[in-house]
Amino acid sequence: MSGDQLDAFRIREEPYYLALGDEVSLFGAAYAARLPVMLKGPTGCGKTRFVQHMAWRLQRPLITVACNEEMSASDLLGRYLLEEGATRWQDGPLTIAARLGAICYLDEVVEARQDTLVVIHPLTDDRRLLSLPAKSEALQAHPDFHLVVSHNPGYQSALKVLKPSTKQRFGAIEFEYPARAREIEILVHETGLAEQLAERLVAIAETARRLKGHGLDEGISTRMLVHAGSLIGQGIGVEAACQMALVQPLTDDPELISTLNASVRACL
Amino acid sequence: MTGTECERHAHVLPEGTSRFVRALWGIDVRVRALPAAANELVPRRPRFVASNLWLPAPKLVGVKGSYDDYLFAASAHIAAHLRFGAARFSVDSLKPIQIAIVSLLEDARVERLAAVHYPGLTRLWAPYYEAQAARAKTSSALLERLARALHDDSYVDDDSWLSKARQSFMAARADWHDSAWCRRLGSALGNDLGQMRVQFNSKDYAVQPAYRDDHVGLWQFEREPSEQGTELEFEGVRRVESDLPATNRRERGVPEISRVLAASASEGASKLRRQESRELEATTRHPEWDYVIRSERPAFCSVNERAVAPGDGARLATALSRYAPAQKRLERCARQLAGRRPSHVRRLLDGDRLDLPAAIAAIVARASATPPDPRVYRRIRVQLEPPALLLLLDLSESLNELPPGARATPLELAQSASALLATSLAFATRDLAIHGFSSNGRHDVGYYRFKHFDEPYDEGARARLAGMRASLSTRLGTALRHAGQALAARDARRKLLLVVTDGEPSDIDVHDPKYLLFDAKQATIGNRRRGISSFCVGLDANAEASVRSIFGQGNYSLLDQLDSLPQRIAELYLRLSA
Repeated sequence: MSGDQLDAFRIREEPYYLALGDEVSLFGAAYAARLPVMLKGPTGCGKTRFVQHMAWRLQRPLITVACNEEMSASDLLGRYLLEEGATRWQDGPLTIAARLGAICYLDEVVEARQDTLVVIHPLTDDRRLLSLPAKSEALQAHPDFHLVVSHNPGYQSALKVLKPSTKQRFGAIEFEYPARAREIEILVHETGLAEQLAERLVAIAETARRLKGHGLDEGISTRMLVHAGSLIGQGIGVEAACQMALVQPLTDDPELISTLNASVRACL
Repeated sequence: MTGTECERHAHVLPEGTSRFVRALWGIDVRVRALPAAANELVPRRPRFVASNLWLPAPKLVGVKGSYDDYLFAASAHIAAHLRFGAARFSVDSLKPIQIAIVSLLEDARVERLAAVHYPGLTRLWAPYYEAQAARAKTSSALLERLARALHDDSYVDDDSWLSKARQSFMAARADWHDSAWCRRLGSALGNDLGQMRVQFNSKDYAVQPAYRDDHVGLWQFEREPSEQGTELEFEGVRRVESDLPATNRRERGVPEISRVLAASASEGASKLRRQESRELEATTRHPEWDYVIRSERPAFCSVNERAVAPGDGARLATALSRYAPAQKRLERCARQLAGRRPSHVRRLLDGDRLDLPAAIAAIVARASATPPDPRVYRRIRVQLEPPALLLLLDLSESLNELPPGARATPLELAQSASALLATSLAFATRDLAIHGFSSNGRHDVGYYRFKHFDEPYDEGARARLAGMRASLSTRLGTALRHAGQALAARDARRKLLLVVTDGEPSDIDVHDPKYLLFDAKQATIGNRRRGISSFCVGLDANAEASVRSIFGQGNYSLLDQLDSLPQRIAELYLRLSA
């Protein structure tokens, strides 16, 4: 059964990822040392794609959990279900990964409540132990198990910060939006845009990124550029695609929309 | 068009345009409105001096297209100067016509360089070029055609002087990164015009097209700036525009005001700055919102924190005995609030744990072949702890007035209310502070801390509360910002700023009643962004409009019975904390 259970989480084809620095070798080393990894960086800069790529490279199944405020410890660990007049224990995603040896990726980990996150503490030091109090089980993690979390230090409010006791269990890799030439290359690969047009889209993104902290919480991400490129690939006009994929999702403020539109027009 | 209509149409002034400049080049500028002068001899043009921009508001008469587009075109042009311009040109012996031509060459140079990075800018500027080749050979027509010829490669004009200018400009392409040749070429072209006997009158010259700046920012002027200039730096351009006699506004092709504006190095200004830096050590500066220019004036108001002379705490304790019933109730509730424990929510579809009784019931139901209730989980809900509370008291002169028929002055009531709150909450939370303020102009907003956060409500705090005095005026916005700063530093999930004020904000140096009102509103919005909720208790039922506009619908309460202030504050605390 266990083999089947992990099968769905295996990545068969190489996810495209263009390395921006030495993150691939850093992650590889951390995996070899079983050091939990934290990926820091703005939204849409390629953190999740990177984890998928690394899971493929390391030939490990990848179990992703999108964290949110409502998430409780049992959403990670598992719970009893009622079935045919009896109760049956159902492992949660973290337990499955620890039991069977997968990479568990907790996306946007700060969104989870602090009291939820402490369950990962014994798992992330040399004990590598997952305690399941409801089941009275102390689970020794599989040798291949690896924990990866991501968080975006940019936009969360003051209330949402990781405890030092949680943070210090990880090695961290910082991500930024790719440099211009790299971002153009990514865009061309992902959307099939002509290089010249891709370059203009990146220029638009750069104008918006300068407004971070000046009305915008986040700039235009690589992911948004890919969206715009895909729309253009569907035959949508460049300005309309930028409206739909870049400007409108970024803000609702009419004044900022005017400014962003002016920037879009200036770039094209 | 009325003033408010103008404002409404200017969507992007000032933030939109300053952000646009930042988006393009990462340069931070300050944008302000340039209003129409009373007797305008020549049409207004945008203006910049270093990173200060003035853009026409309301819209210029006769300029086509949308006002927003015009403002973006103007700010993009100035941004090109800021990004690609070198040091200012020195006037030396140049004639007015030469100054005008050099400026146009420089305009074209920076625009061409900007368009390499942002090709769309050329289209943004294009609609404002209206010059036609056929027009007469007056200097202003020629200059307008020159601007177009340098901007628009498809423009056809076979005037020999223009062709020469255009060819020389394009021939210098390799040198576009440098501006020195603009001065050389411009003075040569100016000489040519002189020989052609073309007259140039700098008094009625307005730069064309209309989105361009008036070239003031491009030149270094010889005469030392006047004292008036320093004033202008601080008070904005409005005032000097109207103060300057129209007759000496222009000289040598550039308006008189330019000298005034170029005042950065003036002695008066530096003296002022030195004085400011000394003051900074003892006081805290806060910005103030000016609704006219729709912009914050940075570090505009000074808050001076002053020690409170202790009063008779025993007398205050006696006064408090009148409120014994309210105090009992408040104490009881406060204890309950503080003693909140996590509670279980049962019978949920999804939760942390099985709700055992519900699960058993479900199994029993199943065994007896009736449909089981699937809600068999429970969840632990963590209750909210009481908020961090800052009680901010408006201590202006009017608090000393005994209203007809009242038993106590508003000041005495404010004291009792503070004491009641502090006494009752003493056992429950230390996340309570009581501050007050009274202002004497923007340079002196007095701020008093009667009870600090984390401090027990003891003899010292009681004596300080008893020493509360009321005088002077109400610069509410500044006090809100200062209190917001103190509250923002608290480590609490919820932060509450409870303001007690007796009416509209006012101060001795402000005559426009709307000014401080809008500033206080802006301060409240700023506090909300920092996670601070504000609530106001208004002591004057007639001031509802202003209190509502500052704090917003539902965030205020007006007292019809002044004597009930202490009970009312206590009730409010409970309601807002629950």
